[in-house]
Amino acid sequence: MPLPAKAFQRWLQGIAPEASTADICRISGVKRTTLAQQLVRGKVAESTVVAISRAFNINPVAALATFDAYSDLAGGQLPPTAAELVSQIATMDLLRAVIARSAAAAEGTETARATPPAPQLTPAPHATSVRNWVDAIDDGELRHRVSAATGIAPQNYSAQLSANRLTPELAIATSRAAGTGLTGGLVATGMITESEAGWEPGARQAALDAMSDGELAALAGDRLQALGKTLKRQEQDHEETRTIWENLG
Amino acid sequence: MIEILQWSTLAVCCAAAVARIPSALRGENRSLFYIFLLATLAILLSIDGPYVAIDSVLGGTNITNLILRFIVFAVIFFIGLRSMKAFGAHQYRRWLLGWPGMLVFGVISAVMILFFIMMDSSGSSAGLAGVARRSVRDAHLVEYYGAAGRAYPAYVSLVLLPAIAKAVASRLPVLVRVGALLLGIGGASLTVSLLFPFIPPQWSSLKFIINYGAALCFVLGLAVFWTGRVRATRVAARKSSTAQ
Repeated sequence: MPLPAKAFQRWLQGIAPEASTADICRISGVKRTTLAQQLVRGKVAESTVVAISRAFNINPVAALATFDAYSDLAGGQLPPTAAELVSQIATMDLLRAVIARSAAAAEGTETARATPPAPQLTPAPHATSVRNWVDAIDDGELRHRVSAATGIAPQNYSAQLSANRLTPELAIATSRAAGTGLTGGLVATGMITESEAGWEPGARQAALDAMSDGELAALAGDRLQALGKTLKRQEQDHEETRTIWENLG
Repeated sequence: MIEILQWSTLAVCCAAAVARIPSALRGENRSLFYIFLLATLAILLSIDGPYVAIDSVLGGTNITNLILRFIVFAVIFFIGLRSMKAFGAHQYRRWLLGWPGMLVFGVISAVMILFFIMMDSSGSSAGLAGVARRSVRDAHLVEYYGAAGRAYPAYVSLVLLPAIAKAVASRLPVLVRVGALLLGIGGASLTVSLLFPFIPPQWSSLKFIINYGAALCFVLGLAVFWTGRVRATRVAARKSSTAQ
């Protein structure tokens, strides 16, 4: 739910009483026309608040928490679960970890398990981070509870997941319905970074290292299968489109 | 009002045909150029002035109307053929090209020619309006003849509609879906035109709107596919040039 322009103006007054709108836009990188349009409509996007708070070195979560709709974000959040952390590791990083472990295991028989330098994980979010995150915290009934709590139709919710999107409002509603920390979904959608959400640096790597070889292989396999399906569907669509262009274009 | 619709449909069709000349010369999808050309001819022949002029050259027996019907059949057949290949609707192929398709075409053509021969067709008039006014018998014959002329386009449309509907509902690029939607509206209009005898006389302008609307939808739909392909190849070319 976008934030009311009035509350936004009040918040802005609080953090930068001297700055003009032009200054704000220049510092934060928000387009002037975008901000003007949002103010005229009376609805300011959460991403605008996040960008401006970053520019003024304010934690975006704390900034959002000053608005009524996001007051739940105030105060400490539950730490992310291991499954949430792993869900925010890109598929290719998981595959790299599989290869690194198997190489280490092969060498380990001769030398005394020289731990290879862990390849740096790409920062969240990744190409399927939203769906992977929801799957990671889903107990089987989560989607039902989210749709009951927010009134969103299940197919619309699922369409957002497929597009690797989720509105901040729904992301928080999903966390709440799952009983996890409320910022997990904001990380998965790329609204805020891991550190802004209060995730320990290296938390994802630690969660990855804590997985057994079997768990890692199974997860990487699932991800690879999903990737294969998506790619195949894209290729099929592409092929169909090409046939249509060739015959009717 | 109807005249505006007729002439603007002709203009759109003619523009599409002219615009396709360069790509036809390059040998890209020539059949689409012929489709546009035939469609332009068909629309030209369906308008009062050009019709009378051409028919009087051909002897003033309204044989032009019969020619027009077969041109329409040809246009719709080729659009059907291209669409069938484009949308991968190979399971319907025999309903257009196989013996069922040929049978339908043969029967409808034979019936149409028969009705034409039976009526006293002298005296050029577009849509055979003058012939229909001559006697009750001729009026009925013109009615049946017209119905036969609409039957084949409606038949081809019915064969194509499932595949087109599938493309509209698909996840394919927007231009593909818009083009398919326009073809679908055109096809649906041709199918609806089977119900012309049940349209009350005071709404007769509805017939023109459906007919020319269908023609416009087909031409615009094909133009949309064309735009889509041109764009897609341009984007691909730009991508490959940046990749080098």
